[in-house]
Formats: sequence, C-alpha cells, structure tokens
Amino acid sequence: MKKLWMAALVLLMGMAMAAGQITVWTHFGGPELEFLKDQAQRYEKATGVKVQVVEVPFGDIKQKFILGAPQGEAADLVVTVPHDWVGEMAAAGVLEPVSKYATQDYLSGLMPVAVDAFSYGGKLFGLPMNAESVALIYNKDLVQTPPATWDEFLALAKKYTTGDTFGFLYDLGNPYFNYGWFKAYGAYVFGKNPDGSLNPSDLGLGGEPGYKAGQFIKDLRYEYELIPEGVDYGVADGAFKDGVLAMILNGPWALGDYKKAGLNFGIAPLPAPPGGNAWGPFVGVQGVVVNAYSKNKIAAVNFAKALVNPANQVAFNKAGGRIPVSLGALEQLKDDPVVKGFSTTIAMGDPMPNIPAMGKVWGPWGNALALITQKPDSDVKKIIDDMVAEITKAIKGE
Amino acid sequence: MVIAFAAGAATFFALESAAMAAGRPEGVPNWWILVTSVAFFLPVLFLLGRTFPFLTDWYYLLPAIVFLLVFTVYPIVLTVYLAFTDYSGARNGFPDRATETAIAQVEGARIALAADPLTSLGCGETCVGQLLELVGDGHRARFSVVGASGRTLTLDREPAFSPKYAYRVNAYHFIGFKNFVYIFKNASKALWPVFVWNVVFAAFTVLSTALVGLLLGVLLNNKDLKLRNLYRTLLIVSWALPGVITIQMWVALLNKQFGAINRLLGLLGVYPIPWLLDPLWAKVSVLLVNLWLGFPYMMTATLGALSTIPDELYEAAKVDGANAFDALQYITLPLLRVAFVPILLASFAFNFNNFNVIYLLTGGGPATEGQLSTAQATDILISWAYKTAFRSEGQSAYGLGAAISLVIFVLTVGISLVNFRVSGALREEGRR
Amino acid sequence: MSRRAWGASFGLLLAYLAAQWAFFAARGLRPDSFLVYGLERGDWGPVLGFLLSAALLGVLLRGRLGGTDAGRLVFWAAALLELGAYTWGLGIELAGRVQPRPAFGAVFVPGGWRYVLAGYAAAVLALFVYSWAVIKVGNRLTGRRRSVGPLFGQALTHLFLWTLVVLVYYPVLQVVSASLDPRNNLFSFRKVESSWLLVRAKVLPALDQVSWANYAKLVDGVVIYPWQWGVLALALGLLLMALLLAWLGRRSADERLKVWHGRALFGFAAALFVLVVFLSPDQFTGTGTESKFLLWVRNTLLVSGSSGLLAIALTATAGYAFARFDFPGRYPTLLTFIFIQMFPGFLALVAIYYLLSWLDLLNTFTGLLLAYSGGIISFGSWVYKGYVESLGRSLEEAAYIDGATRWQAFTRIVLPLSAPMFVFIFLLQFVGTYSEFIMANLVLTGVDKWTVGLGLYSFTTGQFSTKWGLFAAASVLGSLPILLIFYGFQQYFVSGYTAGAVKE
Repeated sequence: MKKLWMAALVLLMGMAMAAGQITVWTHFGGPELEFLKDQAQRYEKATGVKVQVVEVPFGDIKQKFILGAPQGEAADLVVTVPHDWVGEMAAAGVLEPVSKYATQDYLSGLMPVAVDAFSYGGKLFGLPMNAESVALIYNKDLVQTPPATWDEFLALAKKYTTGDTFGFLYDLGNPYFNYGWFKAYGAYVFGKNPDGSLNPSDLGLGGEPGYKAGQFIKDLRYEYELIPEGVDYGVADGAFKDGVLAMILNGPWALGDYKKAGLNFGIAPLPAPPGGNAWGPFVGVQGVVVNAYSKNKIAAVNFAKALVNPANQVAFNKAGGRIPVSLGALEQLKDDPVVKGFSTTIAMGDPMPNIPAMGKVWGPWGNALALITQKPDSDVKKIIDDMVAEITKAIKGE
Repeated sequence: MVIAFAAGAATFFALESAAMAAGRPEGVPNWWILVTSVAFFLPVLFLLGRTFPFLTDWYYLLPAIVFLLVFTVYPIVLTVYLAFTDYSGARNGFPDRATETAIAQVEGARIALAADPLTSLGCGETCVGQLLELVGDGHRARFSVVGASGRTLTLDREPAFSPKYAYRVNAYHFIGFKNFVYIFKNASKALWPVFVWNVVFAAFTVLSTALVGLLLGVLLNNKDLKLRNLYRTLLIVSWALPGVITIQMWVALLNKQFGAINRLLGLLGVYPIPWLLDPLWAKVSVLLVNLWLGFPYMMTATLGALSTIPDELYEAAKVDGANAFDALQYITLPLLRVAFVPILLASFAFNFNNFNVIYLLTGGGPATEGQLSTAQATDILISWAYKTAFRSEGQSAYGLGAAISLVIFVLTVGISLVNFRVSGALREEGRR
Repeated sequence: MSRRAWGASFGLLLAYLAAQWAFFAARGLRPDSFLVYGLERGDWGPVLGFLLSAALLGVLLRGRLGGTDAGRLVFWAAALLELGAYTWGLGIELAGRVQPRPAFGAVFVPGGWRYVLAGYAAAVLALFVYSWAVIKVGNRLTGRRRSVGPLFGQALTHLFLWTLVVLVYYPVLQVVSASLDPRNNLFSFRKVESSWLLVRAKVLPALDQVSWANYAKLVDGVVIYPWQWGVLALALGLLLMALLLAWLGRRSADERLKVWHGRALFGFAAALFVLVVFLSPDQFTGTGTESKFLLWVRNTLLVSGSSGLLAIALTATAGYAFARFDFPGRYPTLLTFIFIQMFPGFLALVAIYYLLSWLDLLNTFTGLLLAYSGGIISFGSWVYKGYVESLGRSLEEAAYIDGATRWQAFTRIVLPLSAPMFVFIFLLQFVGTYSEFIMANLVLTGVDKWTVGLGLYSFTTGQFSTKWGLFAAASVLGSLPILLIFYGFQQYFVSGYTAGAVKE
C-alpha cells in the first residue's frame, strides 16, 4: 500500500521536474520584466529549455540566495545583482566563477569598468548588463543650462529655495549619493594593492579629506540651507515629480517616473565643491550571475549570454532606459541624451568596491552622515573619527 | 516499558534510515518522514496506552509537545549552538568561490594544483588543516588537507571521482563565550542603553495605554451615555488595522518638514518638531504612536472586566449613600485591580519584544553618537539582534545575533519571574 | 498622626531633596533633567542614583508612617513633586531641540492655539447653557427637581470623545485620501489654492485629483471565471442572509432562526473556502507586481485560516489536560510551555530556514503555517486551560456516572461548550499572522507566493521606488477582511481576553 502511494507521489513529482528547466530570479518590474519574459520565451523556443521567471524584491535577493543556494532552493540565474554584492556572495560560495565561459572577444567588447566591477579575486563572477550612477538631473523649465561651477550652482539653487519651491535636494544621509563629495575632497573607500586589487586595511574615508567632505555635507543643510531636515529619497523624488524642484541628484532608475510625470529634464554632472577637485559618483554595474549549485549550469550560462549580448542590451535600454555596458550597444545609442548624460558621469566615477569588507562600511558610514546632518553643532571630526574606528574594528573582526 | 518504547523507536528509525540509505526515490520530499512516523507511532501509542493506562494522560499533550519540540525547541537549540560559534555571512561553512583553483593531476590522495595554493586558495600561512571542496563530473565532496609541499596537497582520503576544481571552505568554528564577551565589552555602546530604553519603552507604554484605556473604559461603561456602543466600535480601529499599514502611515505623518502633524501644529503656532530626526523626540514619537496603537486593547479589557462587576454592588452602595466618586474609588478600581494586574503584565511582556513598532517606525534610528550602528536611539533588544543578524548594518553576524537572543531570553525570563512573583499568576498552580 | 511624625517625615523629605540636588550638582548636571541625561547621553549614573534614593525614601517613609493616610499623602506628594520636576526638565530639553522656523510650505499661525482653546471654551459654555436650559425647562414642565450636573457631564463626555475620534481617525483619513491620489506621492508639494484654511495648510487633503487609478492597478489583468463570480455572489448572499437572521434572531426567541443563522454562516465560510482554494496564479495576467494583490489576499486567507484551525487542534487537548488531569509532571510541563515561549522565536529564523529546507517545505504555505504554529501553542493552551477551569466539573462528573470515558467527556461535553474560546484562539492566530512579513519573507519566494503583509511591506521598501498610492490602496483593501472579522467577532475578543484574566 505504502509503495503504491510512493509510486503515485513519485509520478506527480516527476512530472513537475521535467528535464531541462532553469529558474531565474529577477527584481525587474514593468516593461523590463516584459523584456525578460520575452527573452525567456525565445530561449525556450530555440533550445527547448524551460525558463521560469520568479519576481523577488531587490532587497531580499542577496540573503535569500546565500541561504538558499546550497540547499537547492535558489534560482539558477539572478537577473541582475549589483556588483558590490559579488565579493560577499562569492565568499559565501554561491556564485559560479564564469571566467571559464567568457571569451576574450566578449570581454573586450565591454566597458573596462564593468569587467573590473565583476572581477573578484582575479575571477569574473557575472556577466555585466548595465551600469548606473547618480547625476544631476535638472528641470529644463526652471534651469536652462546646467551650472558648470559651484558658484553658479549655489546661486541657482538658492534662487529656487523658497517656501514653496526647492533648488537642490537629494538623500543627504545616504553614503551612495554622497560619495561624489568625498571623492572631490580626495577621500576614497579602499586603497589598492600593487596588483590592482582592493586593500581592505587601507581605509581612506577619514582624515582631512573625510573632515572636509563631512563639513561640506553639513554645510549643504545648515550653511547654504539647501536641504532641510526631513528630506529623504522619497521627498526629493516626489518634489521633482511635482515640478517644484529645480535640481536633484538621482540615477537612471528614476527617469521612467519623470517621463510619466511629463517633465522636461536634462542630465549633467555636478560641479566641483568649493576647494575640491572634480566630483565623481559611485558607479554600480549590474550583471547576471550563475548559481554555483545549479544542476543546469550550461543552460543557465547560455541564457545569461543571450541576455547580455549587445543587441539585447539595446533592446533593454529601450524597455527601461538603463545604460548598457557593451561598447557596441553604447555606440548604437550614442544619440540618446539620457545615455549620453549618464555615460559622462559614469566615466567620471569610481566603481563601488566589491570586496566583502565593503559590507562593513555602509552601516557606520550612513550613521556618520546622519549624525553630521542631525544638528547644527555636530562635531564632524569626532564623528568621522568614530566612524573610521568602528569600520576598522569591524574589518579586523574584533 | 521505557526500554521497550526506546527499543521500538530505535528500530523504527533504523528502518527509516535504512530505507533512506537504500535510495530515497527521487522526488519524495523529506516531510514524508513526518507522515510515515505518524503512521507508525499511532498504533504503537494505542497499544502502549492499552498496556499502561497512566500514559494516556500524556496523549492529550502529545500534539502540542510534538509541535513545540519540532518548531520551537529545535530552532532554539540550534540558535543556542550558533551563539557559541562565529557563524556569519562570510563564515557560513561553504566554499569560497574566489578560491577556485584548477587541479592539474590526481594521484591517490595527493592532488597537484595548477597554481600556488597559498595565494590561489587563500590559505594564509599553510594549507594544512584547511577544509577543501573538490568538484568534478557533477560530484562534490569535502576533504581536509593533511600535508602540503609546493603545489601538491595531501588529502585525508582518496577522492572517489576525478576532481577538476578545488575550493577552500569558509569554515565556522566553535568560539566559546567570545560572542558574549563582545556583547559585554561593548555594553556601554549597545547593551546598557538599549536595555534601559527597552524597559522604559515597555513600562511607559503599559502605563500610558492603561491610563487612557481605563479612563475610556470607565467613561463608556456609563449606561446612561448615549452612543456608547458607537464610540466603542469607532475607537477600536487602531487596534483592528494591521500595524504594517498604520505604522508606516505614521512615518509619513511625522515627517518634520512635510508631515501633516507638523502642518497641523503650524496652524496652532508650534514650530516644526523633529519627530523622527532627534534621538530624544524619536523616543517620544515611538511612545505616542504605541499609545495610539495600544489604547483600544486596554479600553476593551477594561470594559470586559467592568462587565463582570455585578450591578448589585453599586445599588447597595447607593443605598448606603455613596456618590459616584465613592463608587469608583471603593468598588470599581479595587475590583479592576484584580483583573488588571495579569493584563498589565502580559502587555509588558508583549511590548518588551514589540519589534514591529520600532522597526517600522524608526528602524531603530535616529543615529546616536557613540553607539554601534546596529543599536541606535530607539533600538530595543530584539531589533538590535535582528539588525545584527539579518540586516546589512550587522553583516549577517548570525552567531552574534544568536548570542543577543540568548541574552534577551535570560532577561525576559528574569523579568517574568519577578512578574509572576508579584502577581501570583502561577502561585495557585503550585498549590495543587 | 503626631506632630513629631509630621516633622520627621518632612525633615526626611527635605534632606532627601537636598542630598539629591547635591548629587547632581557634583556631577555638573542640571538636577531637573536626569531623564535627558539617561535617555540621550547614556549617562545612567544619575538615574540609578535617583531610583535608589527614591526607593530609600519610600522604605523610610513606609517604615515611619506606613499605613496612615497622612503618610501616604506625604509619600505621594513627594513622588509627584519629583516626577513633575523631571517631566518639566524633559519638556524644556525637548522644546530646546525645536528650531524656531516654520516648516516649508506650511501655513504658520502665531499663537493659533489660543483660538483653538477659545473655541473649546466657547463650546463648553454653549453646552453648559444648553444643558442648563434643557433641565430648567424640563423641571418647569414636569415639576421634578433634577440638577444640571449629569447632563452637562454627558455633554462634556461627548465633546471629549468626538475630539478623540477625530484624532484617532486622522491617520486613517490620510491613508484613504492617499489611495485616491494617482500621483503616487507621499507628500504634496504643490501650492494649494482653497478657501479652506485646513486644506490650504495641507492638513486636510485637497481632493482635486480623485481617481481610482491605484485601485485599478491592483486588479489589472485579473481574470475571474464566471463560476467564481457565481460562488462569490452565493457567498455574499449567504452573508447577507446570516446578518438578516442575526438581526431577526435578536427580536424573537425562535430557535430555528439560530440554527439557520449557523447554517448560513457555515455556507458562507464554505463558499469562501472554495473561492480561496480554487483561485490560481494563472488568473493574474497583469504586468505589474501590484496586480497580484488579490492573489496575496487569497494566500493570506489560506495561510492564516489554516494556521488558526491548526492552533485550535493543537491547543484544545493540551489545555484540557492541563485543566482537568492531575498526573505527575503536569505542573513542570506547564511551566516549560510558558518559559519556552519567552525565547524570541523569530530570531531563530536561520534555524527555521534549515529545518524547513530539510523537510522540503521551503516556499510552501504548509511550511509557513507550520512555522507560525509554534508561536500560539503555549498561550493558546494557557488560555484554554483557564476557560475549561471556569466551566466547572459538574457536567463531566455527571457523564462519568453515566459511564462515559474521559475522551468521551471531553469530546461530547467540553468541546461543544468551548466554541467561544476556539473562536477566540482562531481569531488570535488569524489576526496575529495576517500582516506578518518577516517569517513570510524568509519562507516564501516570488511574488506569486506572497502574503498581504509582505506585499504591503514591499511597496514602501523597494530600492529607490516607494509606491505610496498603491500602498495606500492596497492598505484600504487589505484591511477590509481584518476589519470585518474584528467588528463581526468583537465580543469574542472581549470575552476571550477577560476569560484568561478574570477568574473567581
């Protein structure tokens, strides 16, 4: 009797697990999701491998993948992860090194920064798909030409900072948005070893450059009085959408909403802050990664390759407006003002560090920025020093 | 009897594991073990109950005990174990894929690598003692390194397949009390301020909700008041609505520049209050929002307790010439106290670990100088532990998070023991 | 009380205050704001000092004057004085953290609170005049001599309660109005032109752009088969019938009405069950994540409903055994049940993940509801035990005399009487798991599997994309089931919570 039951069960399960199926996790939505599902169908038609697309929110992917992959509970592919997770996920054992599947031709057809971003420990851990960075987005109805110098910028921003309109807003407490100022004053996150890899024991956020950047960020709130308390990402984004904000620091992901709101906007880099060098943002590269425990790696890699080929990068840009990393695709899109604007800022920036130690930086860094901008009499030097101490301790594992 | 039972169980599990080893048919999920166990144990239990009737008392507890063991006790035991390890996102017992090294040659238990193992596998000083995962031909297995010379490593046994790649495993270790030492060494940056705020938070919440609830309960208990049922129904709404909705709405309402509360206060001539931005004001906000969330429960409890006081008592008091205030002071409040002490204690225990309101309203913030980034101005113990183990601030430090959970457990049990002693909630039990 | 005792107690009080002042001054702190030092700067020395000295004072005063009215008076006066001083200090500190600059885009009325106060005073006066007039006229007409007090008191109570209702409902109003705003914005930044001050100040939402777009997105591309519409209509009809019968039942004592009321409710539950079970993910063809909203509701009803039923099954026998049996090990087991529950269970997430993974139950509703079941067992058993104890043994004893076994006594006598308690336990577990999102997030992967709580949480935490309008619309729809349940079963909540607490 029991055997009979078992047999029936096996039959049922067997039907569900038809050979040649891969699962894809994605955080895409709207037209980008449509693009992915369309690609999945084409791939299925061409190869007979069934591709199942599962929507997983961006913020959950990393933890779920790390916990689930060794248990066989995670997808074969993730479309896409940001490159700053790569170190942590590789160290946790869940990412398949894809160097062995990537040809030299393919690699040389990509922006070098994208290949760097997905290389960790000398190996490639994902196929780069698009790049992003923040840039100054301005409302052309209010700002005709983007300001080139800090003084122009400040005058313009002040002009529009009235009770009912704003000159310049962004998420002031978020390190990702603020890196540009740190870079302008000579700060960096991790120094480099002679072989070009990042050195987690060389932390460059503190010292004089760190103080200057911290002071400048504090001044944006209390000295120049541009960004009042209570402004977070949602407020800045909403104000821009409502047409009452002249300039915002934001990335390509927001442009869809701005187009929908009927705004006439332009994209430009930020000017250098007073007494600093050129501004340059964090560059994030998103790519497709393969599960190291996948039972169907070859099919997964092939689908990933199909997704990131130059023609599809162009199609993907048309769907969601993201900036491709394939040089061929960039060449095709060079007349697109959005692609052009963001390629400029991406070229000015640095890739986010992708080593696991970076995970120990974000928390204390964000905390320090929150403290600096919390009240007019905050002690910038002490806060930065404390931050450096906490990060250093955490990286050493104390 | 016990021996017979143990022997029976042992045979069953031996059979079960033998069946598993003999090759579990592909596609039969593991939860079948539960189903087959039940199928096996039910008749056994029936027979045992026939033979030893005193056992049948326990049968009534069996479903509850089995579920507690599997879904509560087992996770707790595993968490306690984790508390003594350095298990974390980076040390999770799985191979580091960045150490992928191709294997050039295999001779018995000796493997020759295509690159220098010290740098390629990232062994540090020596590879001896490290755990490796070897992969090839769809197989994977773990070996420990017992000897190393140049590019050749000697494994503890011969691989049963031909491996292609080697990876070093990020092993986690038993580290004794190190996690607890860390907690207490950094106590002034996390444990003490968080604990004291946690107690203040729970105590003040209980007091404020109880006072407001009591006031409303006594007001609405007045049988002459018109519309009293309508009021009761209307006022219950903040308890009925899911917290995940209302708390997030409060975040929007309490924004300093754009929130509706400060705009309303502006009309009253009050300058904008930094509700969620200033560490001290954030504490006030948490308490106020929790009062909004919690008072209907206390109001309902008061009404329930009041309905058990017989009307004759009031009538008798009236005959004796007592006025309404006397009745409140000498009948209502003393009788309510009996009913209220357990409710207050239960509410305290609930709010002591009230994760949702903290996590959704402030996320533990705003930042406070001199505290760990996982333990900020309004963090309570449980949100601190959660952020340590599961959010990016804490770097998936599961071991440390588990250790904090243990500390919370000890504190909760301690507080509850005091509560039980004070309230006598368990005393009548001891009498039997 | 003797004069000497008074003198001694006041002497003690003064000495205590002086010592405390000196203690603070020596530490360079402002004596009235110890709470601030503790809460803000983590300097708990003064707080501990205060608590210790207050405890000492309490002990001293109790020993000296314990039991006398005057003693209590002095004690409470001292305590209130202290507390008042510190609250004052805290208030000053809090006020000092407010920058004197009106908010952006807000209407600022200096001294506006005076108008509000004056308004309230006028309302109170009007109510008094009204009550006075009503009572006087009534007295004149009927010749009775009633006083104005009770009526005026009632009027004041109504004023107070309505103010409270407005305050309590303000956030609800905001959610509802946000759900009708298609701009998906959390705040409105445009200047509002309106003759209403409250609207111009953006305290009340300006509903100039009312649209159902957000709701439309939630049901975008949902395909509902005709038979499902039929079942839905049947369910609603049965619910209406049940309500009607309940209303009729209140007026007449006919037993048949009650029976049919029960049947109608059961039919409603069955129809709902059919709807929930046979709704499939294939029916959701919309492109956006939010178009799966109804699927999330269905998943939640399935998980929370089963979880509530499981809770009853697990706690009933255990609670009965704890209440009625007297076997060795009963009391320690009860204690173990209670204390195990104090472990912060949801921090064992990793362990639960591995357990479910080993059982092959990850990403299944079964796994999730099993994981939920652990949380209710102890409390449920405890509450049910209290309920059974309150039932009294006489009925069961009569059954034993008739030759019933214990199991029969339980199933035939206790179980039928326990319906209200089971409803309570079911509701407790249902409400408790309805909007849970942490465990659900761990166990379930993919938007097709989500529950309402998870979906609501995701609207506001997406990376760089908070969808407030959708969040609000989903909130309004998602809270409907729980509101219905809450209001439908209000009396069970009340009696359930008090049955556990109030015992003879």
